[in-house]
Amino acid sequence: MKSRWRFLKYFIIVLVCAVSLFPLVSMVIMSTKTTEEIFTGLSFTPGTHFLDNIKTVLAPNFLVAYKNSLTVSICSSILSTLFSAMAGYALSVYQFKARNTVYNFVLLTMMVPSSIAMIGYMNEMRILGLTKSLVPLILTWLASGFGVFWMCQYITGSMPREIIESARIDGSNEMNTFFRIVLPCVKPALGTQILMIFLWSWNSYLMPLVLINRASNYTIPLYIQTLGNEYVNDYAARMTGLLLSIFPLLLAFMLGSKTFIRGLTAGAVKG
Amino acid sequence: MAKWPWIFLSPFILSYLCFMLYPTVYSLFVSFTGWTAANILEKPYVGFKNYIRIFTADPLFWKAVGNTAKLMLMAMPLTIIAGLLMAVLMQNIRKGKQMIQTINFLPYVITPIAIGLLFAFMFDWNVGLVNTALVKIGLTDKNINWLGTPQHAPTVVALMIVWKNFGYFMVLYMAGLSTIPSDLYEAAKVDGANAAQSFFKITLPMLRPITVFVVINGVIGGLQLFDEAQQVFMGAGSNAVGGPMRSCLTVIWYFYDTSFKNNSRYGYGAAIAFSLFIIIAAVSLINVRVLNRKEDRL
Repeated sequence: MKSRWRFLKYFIIVLVCAVSLFPLVSMVIMSTKTTEEIFTGLSFTPGTHFLDNIKTVLAPNFLVAYKNSLTVSICSSILSTLFSAMAGYALSVYQFKARNTVYNFVLLTMMVPSSIAMIGYMNEMRILGLTKSLVPLILTWLASGFGVFWMCQYITGSMPREIIESARIDGSNEMNTFFRIVLPCVKPALGTQILMIFLWSWNSYLMPLVLINRASNYTIPLYIQTLGNEYVNDYAARMTGLLLSIFPLLLAFMLGSKTFIRGLTAGAVKG
Repeated sequence: MAKWPWIFLSPFILSYLCFMLYPTVYSLFVSFTGWTAANILEKPYVGFKNYIRIFTADPLFWKAVGNTAKLMLMAMPLTIIAGLLMAVLMQNIRKGKQMIQTINFLPYVITPIAIGLLFAFMFDWNVGLVNTALVKIGLTDKNINWLGTPQHAPTVVALMIVWKNFGYFMVLYMAGLSTIPSDLYEAAKVDGANAAQSFFKITLPMLRPITVFVVINGVIGGLQLFDEAQQVFMGAGSNAVGGPMRSCLTVIWYFYDTSFKNNSRYGYGAAIAFSLFIIIAAVSLINVRVLNRKEDRL
Protein backbone atom coordinates (compact mmCIF):
# COMPACT_ATOMS: atom_id res chain seq x y z
CA MET A 1 0.00 0.00 0.00
CA LYS A 2 2.67 2.45 1.07
CA SER A 3 4.95 1.72 -1.88
CA ARG A 4 2.02 2.10 -4.27
CA TRP A 5 1.43 5.59 -2.82
CA ARG A 6 5.08 6.41 -3.26
CA PHE A 7 4.96 5.26 -6.85
CA LEU A 8 1.86 7.34 -7.57
CA LYS A 9 3.49 10.36 -5.92
CA TYR A 10 6.64 10.18 -8.02
CA PHE A 11 4.61 9.38 -11.12
CA ILE A 12 2.59 12.59 -10.72
CA ILE A 13 5.69 14.67 -10.02
CA VAL A 14 7.49 13.35 -13.09
CA LEU A 15 4.37 13.81 -15.22
CA VAL A 16 3.94 17.45 -14.14
CA CYS A 17 7.63 18.18 -14.73
CA ALA A 18 7.24 16.68 -18.19
CA VAL A 19 4.31 18.98 -18.90
CA SER A 20 6.45 21.96 -17.83
CA LEU A 21 9.32 20.93 -20.03
CA PHE A 22 7.41 19.59 -23.04
CA PRO A 23 6.99 22.84 -25.04
CA LEU A 24 10.63 23.76 -24.40
CA VAL A 25 11.99 20.35 -25.30
CA SER A 26 9.91 20.24 -28.46
CA MET A 27 11.24 23.68 -29.36
CA VAL A 28 14.83 22.49 -28.94
CA ILE A 29 14.17 19.37 -31.00
CA MET A 30 12.41 21.27 -33.77
CA SER A 31 15.36 23.65 -34.00
CA THR A 32 17.58 20.72 -34.97
CA LYS A 33 15.45 19.67 -37.95
CA THR A 34 14.41 20.93 -41.33
CA THR A 35 10.88 22.22 -41.75
CA GLU A 36 9.93 19.17 -43.84
CA GLU A 37 11.09 16.88 -41.05
CA ILE A 38 9.02 18.84 -38.51
CA PHE A 39 5.91 18.45 -40.64
CA THR A 40 6.27 14.70 -41.02
CA GLY A 41 5.08 14.24 -37.49
CA LEU A 42 5.90 13.62 -33.86
CA SER A 43 9.38 12.42 -33.19
CA PHE A 44 11.73 13.04 -30.36
CA THR A 45 14.99 12.16 -31.96
CA PRO A 46 17.03 15.27 -32.64
CA GLY A 47 17.90 16.06 -36.25
CA THR A 48 21.15 17.24 -37.72
CA HIS A 49 20.28 20.69 -39.04
CA PHE A 50 20.88 22.76 -35.91
CA LEU A 51 23.92 24.56 -37.32
CA ASP A 52 22.17 25.27 -40.64
CA ASN A 53 19.22 26.75 -38.77
CA ILE A 54 21.50 28.88 -36.64
CA LYS A 55 23.19 30.19 -39.76
CA THR A 56 19.79 31.18 -41.18
CA VAL A 57 18.76 32.98 -38.00
CA LEU A 58 22.02 34.73 -37.15
CA ALA A 59 21.20 37.58 -39.49
CA PRO A 60 22.38 41.09 -38.63
CA ASN A 61 18.96 42.14 -37.30
CA PHE A 62 19.05 39.36 -34.73
CA LEU A 63 22.45 40.41 -33.42
CA VAL A 64 21.33 44.04 -33.25
CA ALA A 65 18.26 43.05 -31.23
CA TYR A 66 20.48 41.05 -28.89
CA LYS A 67 22.81 43.98 -28.37
CA ASN A 68 19.91 46.37 -27.81
CA SER A 69 18.28 44.09 -25.26
CA LEU A 70 21.54 43.62 -23.42
CA THR A 71 22.17 47.37 -23.34
CA VAL A 72 18.69 48.14 -22.04
CA SER A 73 18.62 45.35 -19.46
CA ILE A 74 22.12 45.96 -18.09
CA CYS A 75 21.64 49.73 -17.75
CA SER A 76 18.14 49.44 -16.27
CA SER A 77 19.02 46.76 -13.76
CA ILE A 78 22.18 48.41 -12.47
CA LEU A 79 20.79 51.94 -12.22
CA SER A 80 17.49 50.93 -10.70
CA THR A 81 19.21 48.68 -8.17
CA LEU A 82 21.58 51.46 -7.15
CA PHE A 83 18.73 53.98 -6.76
CA SER A 84 16.67 51.43 -4.83
CA ALA A 85 19.55 50.59 -2.50
CA MET A 86 20.10 54.28 -1.76
CA ALA A 87 16.42 54.87 -1.07
CA GLY A 88 16.14 51.67 0.96
CA TYR A 89 19.15 52.77 3.02
CA ALA A 90 17.57 56.16 3.67
CA LEU A 91 14.30 54.58 4.79
CA SER A 92 15.82 51.93 7.04
CA VAL A 93 18.74 53.74 8.70
CA TYR A 94 17.63 57.35 9.17
CA GLN A 95 14.88 58.58 11.45
CA PHE A 96 13.19 61.56 9.85
CA LYS A 97 9.78 63.15 9.95
CA ALA A 98 8.50 62.16 6.53
CA ARG A 99 9.85 58.60 6.71
CA ASN A 100 6.50 56.84 7.06
CA THR A 101 4.90 59.00 4.41
CA VAL A 102 7.65 58.14 1.93
CA TYR A 103 7.49 54.45 2.86
CA ASN A 104 3.72 54.29 2.31
CA PHE A 105 4.16 56.15 -0.95
CA VAL A 106 6.62 53.46 -2.08
CA LEU A 107 4.11 50.72 -1.22
CA LEU A 108 1.45 52.60 -3.16
CA THR A 109 3.61 52.86 -6.28
CA MET A 110 3.85 49.07 -6.36
CA MET A 111 0.11 48.76 -6.94
CA VAL A 112 -0.16 51.17 -9.86
CA PRO A 113 -0.22 49.53 -13.32
CA SER A 114 2.30 51.07 -15.69
CA SER A 115 -0.31 51.41 -18.43
CA ILE A 116 -1.82 54.53 -16.88
CA ALA A 117 1.43 56.40 -17.47
CA MET A 118 2.02 55.10 -20.98
CA ILE A 119 0.40 57.77 -23.15
CA GLY A 120 1.94 60.58 -21.12
CA TYR A 121 5.30 58.82 -21.17
CA MET A 122 5.23 58.43 -24.94
CA ASN A 123 4.43 62.11 -25.30
CA GLU A 124 7.15 63.11 -22.84
CA MET A 125 9.76 61.07 -24.71
CA ARG A 126 8.66 62.66 -27.99
CA ILE A 127 9.07 66.15 -26.55
CA LEU A 128 12.49 65.25 -25.15
CA GLY A 129 13.43 63.89 -28.58
CA LEU A 130 14.39 60.48 -27.22
CA THR A 131 12.11 58.27 -29.33
CA LYS A 132 14.89 57.44 -31.75
CA SER A 133 17.07 55.96 -29.02
CA LEU A 134 16.90 53.17 -26.46
CA VAL A 135 16.89 55.66 -23.58
CA PRO A 136 13.08 55.58 -23.01
CA LEU A 137 13.25 51.83 -22.40
CA ILE A 138 15.81 52.40 -19.64
CA LEU A 139 14.30 55.48 -17.94
CA THR A 140 11.05 53.64 -17.28
CA TRP A 141 12.80 51.15 -14.96
CA LEU A 142 14.73 53.69 -12.84
CA ALA A 143 12.16 54.17 -10.10
CA SER A 144 11.31 50.71 -8.83
CA GLY A 145 8.87 50.63 -5.93
CA PHE A 146 9.49 46.91 -5.59
CA GLY A 147 13.24 47.55 -5.37
CA VAL A 148 12.98 50.16 -2.63
CA PHE A 149 10.63 47.95 -0.63
CA TRP A 150 12.94 44.96 -1.11
CA MET A 151 16.12 46.83 -0.16
CA CYS A 152 14.47 48.47 2.83
CA GLN A 153 13.33 45.08 4.15
CA TYR A 154 16.75 43.57 3.58
CA ILE A 155 18.79 46.38 5.13
CA THR A 156 16.47 46.60 8.13
CA GLY A 157 16.61 42.85 8.64
CA SER A 158 20.26 42.02 8.09
CA MET A 159 22.45 45.09 8.42
CA PRO A 160 23.80 45.46 11.96
CA ARG A 161 23.28 49.06 13.06
CA GLU A 162 26.52 48.95 15.12
CA ILE A 163 28.64 48.72 11.98
CA ILE A 164 27.16 51.93 10.62
CA GLU A 165 27.47 53.65 13.99
CA SER A 166 31.11 52.71 14.41
CA ALA A 167 31.91 53.86 10.87
CA ARG A 168 30.38 57.23 11.73
CA ILE A 169 32.40 57.47 14.92
CA ASP A 170 35.52 56.70 12.89
CA GLY A 171 34.72 59.79 10.83
CA SER A 172 33.43 58.14 7.67
CA ASN A 173 31.03 60.46 5.86
CA GLU A 174 27.57 59.21 4.90
CA MET A 175 28.32 58.63 1.21
CA ASN A 176 31.45 56.72 2.07
CA THR A 177 29.59 54.62 4.64
CA PHE A 178 26.95 53.72 2.08
CA PHE A 179 29.27 52.77 -0.76
CA ARG A 180 32.12 51.19 1.22
CA ILE A 181 30.27 49.51 4.08
CA VAL A 182 26.57 49.09 3.37
CA LEU A 183 26.65 48.02 -0.28
CA PRO A 184 29.13 45.16 0.28
CA CYS A 185 27.00 43.95 3.19
CA VAL A 186 23.81 43.72 1.13
CA LYS A 187 25.31 42.03 -1.92
CA PRO A 188 22.76 39.17 -2.01
CA ALA A 189 19.86 41.63 -2.12
CA LEU A 190 21.59 43.65 -4.84
CA GLY A 191 22.09 40.48 -6.88
CA THR A 192 18.45 39.49 -6.57
CA GLN A 193 17.19 42.88 -7.64
CA ILE A 194 19.58 43.10 -10.58
CA LEU A 195 18.31 39.72 -11.78
CA MET A 196 14.67 40.74 -11.34
CA ILE A 197 14.94 44.01 -13.25
CA PHE A 198 17.06 42.28 -15.90
CA LEU A 199 14.38 39.65 -16.33
CA TRP A 200 11.50 42.12 -16.45
CA SER A 201 13.18 44.51 -18.84
CA TRP A 202 14.39 41.67 -21.08
CA ASN A 203 10.85 40.26 -21.29
CA SER A 204 9.10 43.62 -21.59
CA TYR A 205 7.06 43.84 -24.79
CA LEU A 206 4.30 46.45 -24.64
CA MET A 207 6.56 49.40 -23.81
CA PRO A 208 9.03 48.78 -26.69
CA LEU A 209 6.11 48.00 -29.00
CA VAL A 210 4.70 51.46 -28.30
CA LEU A 211 7.95 53.41 -28.15
CA ILE A 212 10.28 51.81 -30.69
CA ASN A 213 9.52 52.40 -34.31
CA ARG A 214 12.73 51.61 -36.15
CA ALA A 215 14.15 48.13 -36.70
CA SER A 216 17.65 49.18 -35.61
CA ASN A 217 16.29 49.76 -32.08
CA TYR A 218 14.34 46.50 -31.80
CA THR A 219 14.74 44.52 -28.59
CA ILE A 220 14.48 40.74 -28.42
CA PRO A 221 10.68 40.58 -27.86
CA LEU A 222 10.12 42.86 -30.87
CA TYR A 223 12.46 40.67 -32.88
CA ILE A 224 10.54 37.55 -31.85
CA GLN A 225 7.38 39.27 -33.02
CA THR A 226 8.87 39.64 -36.52
CA LEU A 227 9.93 35.97 -36.68
CA GLY A 228 6.53 34.92 -38.01
CA ASN A 229 6.72 37.32 -40.95
CA GLU A 230 10.36 36.78 -41.62
CA TYR A 231 10.25 32.99 -41.82
CA VAL A 232 6.71 32.44 -43.05
CA ASN A 233 7.23 28.84 -44.09
CA ASP A 234 10.49 28.08 -42.34
CA TYR A 235 9.23 26.76 -39.02
CA ALA A 236 12.63 25.35 -38.15
CA ALA A 237 14.19 28.80 -38.40
CA ARG A 238 11.38 30.27 -36.31
CA MET A 239 11.98 27.77 -33.54
CA THR A 240 15.73 28.31 -33.68
CA GLY A 241 15.25 32.09 -33.44
CA LEU A 242 12.97 31.57 -30.49
CA LEU A 243 15.46 29.28 -28.80
CA LEU A 244 18.36 31.70 -29.25
CA SER A 245 16.20 34.59 -27.99
CA ILE A 246 15.32 32.98 -24.70
CA PHE A 247 18.55 31.05 -24.21
CA PRO A 248 20.48 33.61 -22.09
CA LEU A 249 17.50 33.91 -19.80
CA LEU A 250 17.13 30.14 -19.48
CA LEU A 251 20.83 29.80 -18.71
CA ALA A 252 20.80 32.60 -16.14
CA PHE A 253 17.73 31.11 -14.51
CA MET A 254 19.16 27.60 -14.29
CA LEU A 255 22.37 28.92 -12.73
CA GLY A 256 20.66 31.18 -10.23
CA SER A 257 17.22 29.66 -9.83
CA LYS A 258 17.28 30.04 -6.04
CA THR A 259 17.94 33.77 -6.29
CA PHE A 260 15.30 34.21 -8.99
CA ILE A 261 12.65 32.30 -7.10
CA ARG A 262 13.39 34.20 -3.89
CA GLY A 263 13.08 37.52 -5.71
CA LEU A 264 9.93 36.66 -7.60
CA THR A 265 8.14 35.41 -4.53
CA ALA A 266 9.32 38.26 -2.27
CA GLY A 267 6.49 40.17 -0.75
CA ALA A 268 3.99 37.48 -1.65
CA VAL A 269 4.48 35.47 1.50
CA LYS A 270 4.72 37.43 4.69
CA GLY A 271 5.55 35.07 7.52
CA MET B 1 22.30 65.35 9.27
CA ALA B 2 18.72 66.08 8.24
CA LYS B 3 19.64 66.44 4.59
CA TRP B 4 21.18 62.97 4.22
CA PRO B 5 18.05 60.83 3.93
CA TRP B 6 16.81 63.16 1.20
CA ILE B 7 20.11 62.97 -0.67
CA PHE B 8 19.84 59.17 -0.65
CA LEU B 9 16.17 59.28 -1.62
CA SER B 10 16.56 61.83 -4.37
CA PRO B 11 17.54 59.57 -7.32
CA PHE B 12 14.49 57.38 -6.68
CA ILE B 13 12.10 60.25 -6.02
CA LEU B 14 13.31 62.35 -8.93
CA SER B 15 13.10 59.50 -11.41
CA TYR B 16 9.67 58.59 -10.07
CA LEU B 17 8.45 62.17 -10.45
CA CYS B 18 9.89 62.55 -13.96
CA PHE B 19 9.16 59.18 -15.51
CA MET B 20 6.13 57.87 -13.63
CA LEU B 21 4.20 60.58 -11.83
CA TYR B 22 4.43 63.28 -14.49
CA PRO B 23 3.38 60.93 -17.34
CA THR B 24 0.56 59.59 -15.15
CA VAL B 25 -0.77 63.05 -14.41
CA TYR B 26 -0.42 63.95 -18.07
CA SER B 27 -2.31 60.78 -19.08
CA LEU B 28 -5.03 61.70 -16.59
CA PHE B 29 -5.32 65.10 -18.26
CA VAL B 30 -5.41 63.43 -21.70
CA SER B 31 -8.20 61.12 -20.56
CA PHE B 32 -10.47 64.17 -20.25
CA THR B 33 -9.80 65.18 -23.85
CA GLY B 34 -10.64 63.86 -27.27
CA TRP B 35 -6.98 63.90 -28.38
CA THR B 36 -6.24 61.70 -31.40
CA ALA B 37 -3.19 61.12 -33.57
CA ALA B 38 -5.13 62.33 -36.59
CA ASN B 39 -5.50 65.75 -34.99
CA ILE B 40 -2.31 65.81 -32.96
CA LEU B 41 -2.19 69.54 -32.28
CA GLU B 42 -5.58 69.81 -30.63
CA LYS B 43 -6.65 68.37 -27.32
CA PRO B 44 -10.34 69.28 -27.09
CA TYR B 45 -11.60 69.08 -23.50
CA VAL B 46 -14.54 66.71 -23.22
CA GLY B 47 -14.98 66.39 -19.46
CA PHE B 48 -16.12 62.99 -18.23
CA LYS B 49 -17.48 61.98 -21.63
CA ASN B 50 -14.85 59.26 -22.23
CA TYR B 51 -15.45 57.71 -18.80
CA ILE B 52 -19.22 57.88 -19.12
CA ARG B 53 -18.98 56.10 -22.45
CA ILE B 54 -16.66 53.40 -21.07
CA PHE B 55 -18.83 52.63 -18.08
CA THR B 56 -22.24 52.89 -19.75
CA ALA B 57 -21.97 52.47 -23.49
CA ASP B 58 -18.82 50.57 -24.43
CA PRO B 59 -19.61 46.89 -25.03
CA LEU B 60 -15.96 46.10 -25.89
CA PHE B 61 -14.61 47.32 -22.54
CA TRP B 62 -17.05 45.13 -20.66
CA LYS B 63 -16.46 42.25 -23.03
CA ALA B 64 -12.75 42.55 -22.16
CA VAL B 65 -13.53 42.52 -18.44
CA GLY B 66 -15.87 39.56 -18.97
CA ASN B 67 -13.24 37.71 -21.01
CA THR B 68 -10.80 38.09 -18.12
CA ALA B 69 -13.40 36.69 -15.74
CA LYS B 70 -14.03 33.78 -18.10
CA LEU B 71 -10.31 33.06 -18.61
CA MET B 72 -9.74 33.19 -14.86
CA LEU B 73 -12.63 30.80 -14.17
CA MET B 74 -11.10 28.40 -16.68
CA ALA B 75 -7.47 28.75 -15.63
CA MET B 76 -7.43 29.50 -11.89
CA PRO B 77 -8.89 26.28 -10.44
CA LEU B 78 -6.54 24.12 -12.49
CA THR B 79 -3.50 26.31 -11.71
CA ILE B 80 -4.27 26.31 -7.99
CA ILE B 81 -4.92 22.56 -7.86
CA ALA B 82 -1.76 21.76 -9.83
CA GLY B 83 0.39 24.12 -7.74
CA LEU B 84 -1.04 22.94 -4.42
CA LEU B 85 -0.86 19.26 -5.38
CA MET B 86 2.78 19.57 -6.37
CA ALA B 87 3.62 21.51 -3.20
CA VAL B 88 1.99 18.87 -1.01
CA LEU B 89 3.58 15.96 -2.89
CA MET B 90 7.01 17.52 -2.60
CA GLN B 91 6.73 18.21 1.11
CA ASN B 92 8.70 15.14 2.24
CA ILE B 93 11.05 14.77 -0.70
CA ARG B 94 14.69 15.17 0.18
CA LYS B 95 16.55 14.76 -3.08
CA GLY B 96 15.91 16.80 -6.19
CA LYS B 97 13.59 19.34 -4.60
CA GLN B 98 15.55 22.24 -6.01
CA MET B 99 15.62 20.69 -9.48
CA ILE B 100 11.87 20.06 -9.55
CA GLN B 101 11.29 23.65 -8.43
CA THR B 102 13.58 24.97 -11.15
CA ILE B 103 11.89 22.91 -13.88
CA ASN B 104 8.37 23.95 -12.95
CA PHE B 105 9.33 27.58 -12.38
CA LEU B 106 10.92 27.82 -15.81
CA PRO B 107 7.70 28.73 -17.70
CA TYR B 108 7.21 31.68 -15.33
CA VAL B 109 10.45 33.39 -16.38
CA ILE B 110 10.41 32.70 -20.12
CA THR B 111 9.71 35.73 -22.32
CA PRO B 112 5.88 35.72 -22.52
CA ILE B 113 5.78 36.53 -26.21
CA ALA B 114 7.96 33.48 -26.88
CA ILE B 115 5.41 31.37 -25.01
CA GLY B 116 2.74 32.76 -27.33
CA LEU B 117 4.65 31.80 -30.45
CA LEU B 118 5.44 28.35 -29.06
CA PHE B 119 1.80 27.66 -28.23
CA ALA B 120 0.73 29.00 -31.61
CA PHE B 121 2.83 26.28 -33.16
CA MET B 122 1.71 23.54 -30.78
CA PHE B 123 -1.96 24.37 -31.40
CA ASP B 124 -1.56 24.95 -35.13
CA TRP B 125 -4.65 23.81 -37.08
CA ASN B 126 -2.84 21.70 -39.65
CA VAL B 127 0.59 20.74 -38.37
CA GLY B 128 0.40 21.38 -34.62
CA LEU B 129 1.57 18.73 -32.19
CA VAL B 130 -1.69 18.83 -30.23
CA ASN B 131 -3.89 18.02 -33.23
CA THR B 132 -1.47 15.38 -34.48
CA ALA B 133 -1.52 13.72 -31.07
CA LEU B 134 -5.30 13.95 -30.66
CA VAL B 135 -5.89 12.37 -34.06
CA LYS B 136 -3.36 9.64 -33.37
CA ILE B 137 -4.96 8.72 -30.05
CA GLY B 138 -8.34 8.80 -31.78
CA LEU B 139 -9.96 11.48 -29.61
CA THR B 140 -10.98 13.39 -32.69
CA ASP B 141 -11.14 12.39 -36.33
CA LYS B 142 -10.63 15.80 -37.84
CA ASN B 143 -8.24 18.54 -36.80
CA ILE B 144 -9.59 21.11 -34.36
CA ASN B 145 -9.24 24.76 -35.32
CA TRP B 146 -7.95 25.80 -31.88
CA LEU B 147 -6.89 29.34 -32.62
CA GLY B 148 -9.43 30.32 -35.25
CA THR B 149 -12.74 29.76 -33.50
CA PRO B 150 -14.18 31.64 -30.52
CA GLN B 151 -15.19 28.36 -28.82
CA HIS B 152 -11.66 26.97 -28.65
CA ALA B 153 -9.39 30.04 -28.57
CA PRO B 154 -10.01 30.90 -24.88
CA THR B 155 -9.10 27.30 -23.98
CA VAL B 156 -5.64 27.75 -25.49
CA VAL B 157 -5.11 31.07 -23.72
CA ALA B 158 -6.31 29.56 -20.42
CA LEU B 159 -3.91 26.63 -20.88
CA MET B 160 -1.07 29.10 -21.43
CA ILE B 161 -1.98 30.82 -18.15
CA VAL B 162 -2.02 27.48 -16.34
CA TRP B 163 1.27 26.34 -17.84
CA LYS B 164 3.00 29.60 -17.08
CA ASN B 165 1.78 30.11 -13.51
CA PHE B 166 1.39 26.81 -11.72
CA GLY B 167 5.12 26.55 -10.89
CA TYR B 168 4.96 30.00 -9.30
CA PHE B 169 1.90 28.95 -7.30
CA MET B 170 3.72 25.77 -6.32
CA VAL B 171 6.65 27.72 -4.84
CA LEU B 172 4.29 30.04 -2.95
CA TYR B 173 2.37 27.09 -1.53
CA MET B 174 5.62 25.34 -0.58
CA ALA B 175 6.65 28.44 1.37
CA GLY B 176 3.20 28.47 2.97
CA LEU B 177 3.36 24.79 3.92
CA SER B 178 6.69 25.26 5.63
CA THR B 179 5.15 27.82 8.01
CA ILE B 180 2.44 25.45 9.30
CA PRO B 181 3.63 24.18 12.71
CA SER B 182 3.95 20.40 12.70
CA ASP B 183 2.44 20.00 16.16
CA LEU B 184 -0.91 20.94 14.62
CA TYR B 185 -0.76 17.75 12.57
CA GLU B 186 0.46 15.73 15.52
CA ALA B 187 -2.40 16.98 17.67
CA ALA B 188 -4.86 16.10 14.91
CA LYS B 189 -3.35 12.64 14.64
CA VAL B 190 -3.71 12.10 18.37
CA ASP B 191 -7.37 13.10 18.02
CA GLY B 192 -7.74 10.41 15.36
CA ALA B 193 -7.83 12.53 12.22
CA ASN B 194 -6.86 10.82 8.97
CA ALA B 195 -4.73 12.34 6.21
CA ALA B 196 -7.68 13.71 4.25
CA GLN B 197 -9.19 15.31 7.34
CA SER B 198 -5.98 17.03 8.35
CA PHE B 199 -5.51 18.27 4.78
CA PHE B 200 -8.97 19.83 4.59
CA LYS B 201 -9.16 21.01 8.20
CA ILE B 202 -5.58 22.20 8.73
CA THR B 203 -3.59 22.58 5.51
CA LEU B 204 -6.21 24.28 3.35
CA PRO B 205 -7.37 26.84 5.94
CA MET B 206 -3.76 27.67 6.87
CA LEU B 207 -2.92 28.28 3.21
CA ARG B 208 -5.92 30.55 2.70
CA PRO B 209 -3.93 33.83 2.65
CA ILE B 210 -1.82 32.44 -0.20
CA THR B 211 -4.87 31.30 -2.13
CA VAL B 212 -6.44 34.75 -1.74
CA PHE B 213 -3.19 36.34 -2.87
CA VAL B 214 -2.84 34.20 -6.01
CA VAL B 215 -6.50 34.66 -6.99
CA ILE B 216 -6.38 38.45 -6.58
CA ASN B 217 -3.07 38.72 -8.40
CA GLY B 218 -4.33 36.34 -11.05
CA VAL B 219 -7.29 38.60 -11.72
CA ILE B 220 -5.08 41.70 -11.82
CA GLY B 221 -2.66 39.91 -14.14
CA GLY B 222 -5.53 38.60 -16.25
CA LEU B 223 -6.87 42.11 -16.86
CA GLN B 224 -3.39 43.05 -18.06
CA LEU B 225 -2.74 39.93 -20.11
CA PHE B 226 -1.41 40.95 -23.49
CA ASP B 227 1.95 39.59 -24.67
CA GLU B 228 1.21 35.85 -24.85
CA ALA B 229 -2.37 36.27 -25.97
CA GLN B 230 -1.58 38.66 -28.80
CA GLN B 231 1.31 36.53 -29.96
CA VAL B 232 -0.48 33.20 -29.92
CA PHE B 233 -2.91 34.56 -32.52
CA MET B 234 -0.30 36.47 -34.50
CA GLY B 235 1.79 33.31 -34.63
CA ALA B 236 -1.23 31.55 -36.10
CA GLY B 237 -1.30 34.18 -38.82
CA SER B 238 -4.21 36.25 -37.52
CA ASN B 239 -4.10 39.96 -36.85
CA ALA B 240 -7.60 40.07 -35.37
CA VAL B 241 -7.73 42.21 -32.25
CA GLY B 242 -8.57 40.00 -29.29
CA GLY B 243 -8.48 36.72 -31.20
CA PRO B 244 -11.44 35.23 -33.11
CA MET B 245 -14.56 37.33 -32.48
CA ARG B 246 -12.59 39.15 -29.77
CA SER B 247 -13.10 36.11 -27.56
CA CYS B 248 -9.74 36.68 -25.83
CA LEU B 249 -9.67 40.49 -25.79
CA THR B 250 -8.33 41.78 -22.47
CA VAL B 251 -8.51 45.32 -21.10
CA ILE B 252 -4.85 46.02 -21.81
CA TRP B 253 -5.17 44.68 -25.34
CA TYR B 254 -8.18 46.96 -25.86
CA PHE B 255 -6.17 49.85 -24.40
CA TYR B 256 -3.26 49.15 -26.73
CA ASP B 257 -5.49 48.85 -29.78
CA THR B 258 -7.44 52.04 -29.01
CA SER B 259 -4.42 54.14 -28.07
CA PHE B 260 -1.82 53.07 -30.56
CA LYS B 261 -3.44 51.14 -33.41
CA ASN B 262 -7.06 51.88 -34.19
CA ASN B 263 -6.79 55.61 -35.17
CA SER B 264 -4.65 56.23 -32.07
CA ARG B 265 -7.41 57.71 -29.96
CA TYR B 266 -5.14 58.83 -27.11
CA GLY B 267 -7.90 60.49 -25.09
CA TYR B 268 -10.17 57.48 -25.06
CA GLY B 269 -7.23 55.11 -24.57
CA ALA B 270 -6.02 57.02 -21.52
CA ALA B 271 -9.53 56.85 -20.10
CA ILE B 272 -9.52 53.05 -20.61
CA ALA B 273 -6.21 52.81 -18.72
CA PHE B 274 -7.59 54.81 -15.78
CA SER B 275 -10.80 52.78 -15.78
CA LEU B 276 -8.65 49.66 -15.57
CA PHE B 277 -6.83 51.23 -12.64
CA ILE B 278 -10.16 51.88 -10.91
CA ILE B 279 -11.11 48.23 -11.33
CA ILE B 280 -7.72 47.02 -10.09
CA ALA B 281 -7.95 49.33 -7.06
CA ALA B 282 -11.42 47.92 -6.31
CA VAL B 283 -10.13 44.34 -6.57
CA SER B 284 -7.18 45.16 -4.29
CA LEU B 285 -9.53 46.78 -1.78
CA ILE B 286 -11.60 43.58 -1.65
CA ASN B 287 -8.33 41.74 -1.06
CA VAL B 288 -7.45 43.96 1.91
CA ARG B 289 -10.96 43.57 3.33
CA VAL B 290 -10.89 39.78 3.04
CA LEU B 291 -7.46 39.51 4.66
CA ASN B 292 -8.40 41.91 7.47
CA ARG B 293 -11.55 40.01 8.28
CA LYS B 294 -9.44 36.90 8.68
CA GLU B 295 -7.13 38.65 11.12
CA ASP B 296 -10.11 39.82 13.17
CA ARG B 297 -11.17 36.26 13.63
CA LEU B 298 -7.80 35.03 14.81
